[in-house]
Amino acid sequence: MAAFLQNPLNVFALGVLGLLGMGIYGLLITRNMIKMVAVLQILVKSAVLALVLAGKAGGNINLGQSLAATVIVSDTIVAVIGLALGVQIQRRFGTADLKEIATLKG
Amino acid sequence: MAAILILAIIGLPWLGAVCVWLVGDQRPRTQHYLAAGFSIAAGLAALVLLLFVSAETVIRIPAGNFFGDLTFVPDGLGAFLAAVATIVGCLAVIFSIDYMRGEEQLGRYYSFILFFIGAMAGLVLTSSLLFLFVFWEITALTSYALISFYNDDPKAVAGGIKALIITQVGGVGMLAGALAAYANTGSYEIGIFLEKAHTLPAATLSVIAFGFLIAAAAKSAQTPFHTWLPDAMEAPTPVSALIHAATMVNAGVYVLARFYPAFEDVPGWRTAVILVGSISALLAALMALVANDLKRVLAYSTISQLGYMVYAIGVGGVFASQFHLLSHSVFKALLFLAAGAVIHSVGTRDMRQMGGLGKDMPFTRSVFIIGGLALAGLPILNGFWSKELVLEAGLVDGPVWAFGLMVFVAGLTAFYTYRMTSMVFGGSSPAERHIHDAGQAMKASLGLLAIGTLTTWLLAGPFGQMLSTSLPAHQLHAVGTWVVVEEVVTAPATLLALGVIALGLAAWQWRKHLAGLGRLLGGFGQLATDGFGFESLNRGIVNATLKAADTIRPLQTGLLNWNVVGILGGLVVVLAWLAWSTGIGR
Repeated sequence: MAAFLQNPLNVFALGVLGLLGMGIYGLLITRNMIKMVAVLQILVKSAVLALVLAGKAGGNINLGQSLAATVIVSDTIVAVIGLALGVQIQRRFGTADLKEIATLKG
Repeated sequence: MAAILILAIIGLPWLGAVCVWLVGDQRPRTQHYLAAGFSIAAGLAALVLLLFVSAETVIRIPAGNFFGDLTFVPDGLGAFLAAVATIVGCLAVIFSIDYMRGEEQLGRYYSFILFFIGAMAGLVLTSSLLFLFVFWEITALTSYALISFYNDDPKAVAGGIKALIITQVGGVGMLAGALAAYANTGSYEIGIFLEKAHTLPAATLSVIAFGFLIAAAAKSAQTPFHTWLPDAMEAPTPVSALIHAATMVNAGVYVLARFYPAFEDVPGWRTAVILVGSISALLAALMALVANDLKRVLAYSTISQLGYMVYAIGVGGVFASQFHLLSHSVFKALLFLAAGAVIHSVGTRDMRQMGGLGKDMPFTRSVFIIGGLALAGLPILNGFWSKELVLEAGLVDGPVWAFGLMVFVAGLTAFYTYRMTSMVFGGSSPAERHIHDAGQAMKASLGLLAIGTLTTWLLAGPFGQMLSTSLPAHQLHAVGTWVVVEEVVTAPATLLALGVIALGLAAWQWRKHLAGLGRLLGGFGQLATDGFGFESLNRGIVNATLKAADTIRPLQTGLLNWNVVGILGGLVVVLAWLAWSTGIGR
């Protein structure tokens, strides 16, 4: 185990998995629209970390970093739009609870 | 040169579509003339292309590894059908100048017609299976949009959606065939596919052959997919003439003819094609006997004549089928446009409310009778020569029962054509009314098509020459026009068919004496009026789909969390499949 942690790449990989697990778990249990956006951010951060890690492991660190920067930018837009939708939903339905606003129920 | 012409034939109508749309509906006059100008230019380009027929790939546009190259080959089959599409197209547009005068939203109308003309030309000229599919779907889309042109009429909207859904079934067959061909030959090129077809595994070739047969049957409105065509008659009449009589419905026959060398040895394929063609011809002719809507009678007769072409391919008469396609395009466009002129002045499509129109519309009556005689297959109009060629091919190479059926259908055709003509133009007018004959633009297109109906059979020789030199895989041998004429005149099939046609005409003439027979067949007539139950088959499929949708509906909870579970589940499956297929973890 100690030998496994000696390699910094492995530590980062654990970090990626940890963030991914947290994000997915959050997506599964969160009922609040605003919290959903926050959880999504955690999930995307795991992807950013994975990109940097893949760049380092593959010997193409520049590519990994530029892709990570791209993801950060596009992810900001996702967050902004998600929050704006959350605000609109709060205003229209009077709640941000996903169960209350499930109008697509079959 | 051929490359420029092909680009012009496809590009000019598409450019025209954009221009007409940009001009805006405030200037209908400009729209009329722009549309006519662009379509006439495309028609002229297609005529010139006939001089440059070859089997060479003249345009090759790389579209990436995945899609293969976008290629165009101006061979005889493609160039001839492109000429039919653009010339009948420009005549339909000219006709529309009178027919659509004063209508709203002309931009939408002309844009879709021009878009269709370009796509139809692309469909027949491309030699890439994938782009054949793409053009195929564009024609389906424009057909849908034009059937539903009067979009405040629920019947028109329903007819359009029905046509779209049924032709999509065919589209799936086409795509499946194209992908199977690509997977086995590594290329989308039709020429390469035709060469390598005999080296493919038999099962794969069967899948491709029957996939294409389904595609062709759906597009050409053959049994059991024929139900969309009569409902498509809600479209403006020039659209019916162009798309649902002269061009798009021929795409199915074109595909069968194009791939005939690859599929002829597939076990059961030719029999299936003969069955589809002859049954469609018979059922549609029976339904035409009892229909009272003028455009529906013409739609049924289109299905029936397409049945002849499909049957001709089934018995190996590729030339006969394409020759009949040419004749049918011309005389059926003529009949439809003449019917359009009638409907435009009378204001109804019900033949029972017409009658006695011959005196009020002498020009329309004359050209309609020319078209009707060609449809019935009487000498010396183009329909006679091509239908006899089809029947002769059937007698020589096909099963006897199918030949007998087709001769019988020829008699039925004469019967319903005579019935239709006499109901519309004969007899006395039911009430006082103010009728005007067709306008100038209408007369111009009708006149040209009537001349075509009288003369296109003279092209048999050059047409055969063009097909045989540019289609090496089909192994056609060219003969001169007079050889064809001699062949037809001396063939025993001709006399037999003419006899049956005369019987059909006589049966309507002396229908009063046959009243007893009519009563005897009354129940059968009701069956034909109901469309032989194919409509309830459609309804059954629709109801089953709706019921299935209703059953699985509760699966949609509307909760984001459950959707995330679904996405994760999918991800796990994909990862597991990747791990298994790459050998990790084994």
